[in-house]
Amino acid sequence: MKWLPILSLSWKNIWRSRTRSGVVIIAVTLGTLSGTFITAFFYGMSMQYIKNQLENETSHIQLHLQAYDDDKLPRFFIPAADSVIEVLGSEPYVLSVSSRSVVQGLASSSSNSYGVSIKGIDPEREKTISNIHTHIIDGTYFEGSGRNPVVIGSKLAERLGVGIRSKIVLNFQDVNGNLTAGAFRVNGIFKSFNSTFDENTLFVRFADLNRLLDAPTAVHEIALIVDDFKQADVYAEELQASSSLSIKSWGDVSPTLRYTDSSLDVSLYIFMIIIIVALMFGIVNTMLMAVLERTQEIGMLMAVGVNKIRTFSLILLETFFLTLVGAPVGLFLGWLAITYFGSTGIDLGAFAQGFEMYGMSSMIYPEINPDYFLNVGLMMIVTTLFASVYPSIKALRLNPVEAIRKI
Amino acid sequence: MAIIEIHNITKVYNTDQVPVHALNGVDLNIHEGEFTAIVGPSGSGKTTLLNIIGGLDKPASGKVFINQTDMFALSGRKLIDFRLHHIGFVFQAYNLIPVLTAKENVAFILQMQGQPTRQCEERALQLLEAVGLEDKVDKRPAELSGGQQQRVAVARALASKPDFVLADEPTANLDSASTNNLLDMMGSLNEREKITFIFSTHDQRVVERAKRVINLVDGKVESDEHR
Repeated sequence: MKWLPILSLSWKNIWRSRTRSGVVIIAVTLGTLSGTFITAFFYGMSMQYIKNQLENETSHIQLHLQAYDDDKLPRFFIPAADSVIEVLGSEPYVLSVSSRSVVQGLASSSSNSYGVSIKGIDPEREKTISNIHTHIIDGTYFEGSGRNPVVIGSKLAERLGVGIRSKIVLNFQDVNGNLTAGAFRVNGIFKSFNSTFDENTLFVRFADLNRLLDAPTAVHEIALIVDDFKQADVYAEELQASSSLSIKSWGDVSPTLRYTDSSLDVSLYIFMIIIIVALMFGIVNTMLMAVLERTQEIGMLMAVGVNKIRTFSLILLETFFLTLVGAPVGLFLGWLAITYFGSTGIDLGAFAQGFEMYGMSSMIYPEINPDYFLNVGLMMIVTTLFASVYPSIKALRLNPVEAIRKI
Repeated sequence: MAIIEIHNITKVYNTDQVPVHALNGVDLNIHEGEFTAIVGPSGSGKTTLLNIIGGLDKPASGKVFINQTDMFALSGRKLIDFRLHHIGFVFQAYNLIPVLTAKENVAFILQMQGQPTRQCEERALQLLEAVGLEDKVDKRPAELSGGQQQRVAVARALASKPDFVLADEPTANLDSASTNNLLDMMGSLNEREKITFIFSTHDQRVVERAKRVINLVDGKVESDEHR
């Protein structure tokens, strides 16, 4: 009962200067809205980057022979790969498995040569692991009955000066250490979000590559997709316990990706904290003005018997109301914007070239972990507490006698 | 029996490192139902005396007993609570809370005491009626004249049924008509309900109505006239 009038008075007090309180509430709303939306934008962009890398190149978990990790020579293939694949396929968390023969070689056309990574794949099975087949911009993905088809990246096609049905020659070492070569015909050209990948990777059929390798069943790499890519480290460790192969999660295969993923949350929270701290100064300023222009009134309240705890609470509650009107509205609008643009996407096609250099799509789908909204809400509450301390202390330091004397 | 006993109080202010003796050994007793004006020239110590009686300022020496309670022996928190329950204040500039209506301003003190909402409202309405503002209960201070605001302030001061009401220059900002109305109303409350009023004032109209006039000069009681 004693607190109800303080609560009611503090609510009425924030509307005493509608313009000033309105400006703070709008600032908090816009700050929260823009903070959450920009965070979701960067989070979505980074997650797309990570997912693109996983889907096109890294997959979730890779298995190699230990020696292959040190020196990627064709002779270091996985023995009895079929039985390994069978065992892996029976793990409940493994969604799909694909095997690849991989060699480093030279792709030559009539006009140019370029160093490439040649991946021998089962086209159908590869579809369950990577999404290269969805990025074909010219030709097909191993369709038709032509001999030795090859699917190459657009950047490589450009560098070699080739198009669909052009012939290219692949030179590499076979499992016996002899140089070998084969003529392939361009069956499809893909364009992923990563121009570097498009420049130095090409796909041929497993049987075609392995015939040239002189090892029809040699598998250098087994790639897995698991139910949750964030759990890849745990799964890889679990598999490693019962295998002599080198088993690496995507984070081990690509430390840059791991760093991007692990630093993402921290950097986005730092970003939001900077926005909140900036808002805090605005709130402190407003509340300080509110206290200083009500010196006599606060002095009167203390004189007639409103104790220090209630005086402190009055200012604290006013600060809370200022923040807590704007913050939920901002969070709600942020959620609306994220939901809308999360489904339609934001097309930054004008900057596509720059994005692709870094392996990113120019179509950004903002997304955010729902916990983030709760955490931002909690951060706002804590910030409000901090923001209210100085004005409240300023109010408590008022001497009623001096405050009344100013009348 | 005296409700206020003041024993030899002194108050010294250090202004620019020069000590100023605002009160210089004041002894007074104020009884229930008195209508007392404390007068004197500027700087004579009127407001300081009122602040000390109200527990807002501490004397350098001496004691103040309110109904036999040594006020300055109370801890800070208890003293604030004591003011809430035992002393009513009326300020020169009314000092109403601008965002509250007349009724809410009066009820606020009662709510601070923890009284039930309905009881607070009933008492606030009674008091506003007693000061002649029954038709202004839902008006905010900005919608009231100076005299009306001071009446609300008196109603607020009386809300907690205090032992006495301290009024520091209550008529200083009022015109003649409002001053007379206010004094009539306070005089009537004093007569009817034996409410003790203590004023500090320069206003001759207040002095004329007072039943007791204490004249302070240089921090000392120069005369104490009972009428």
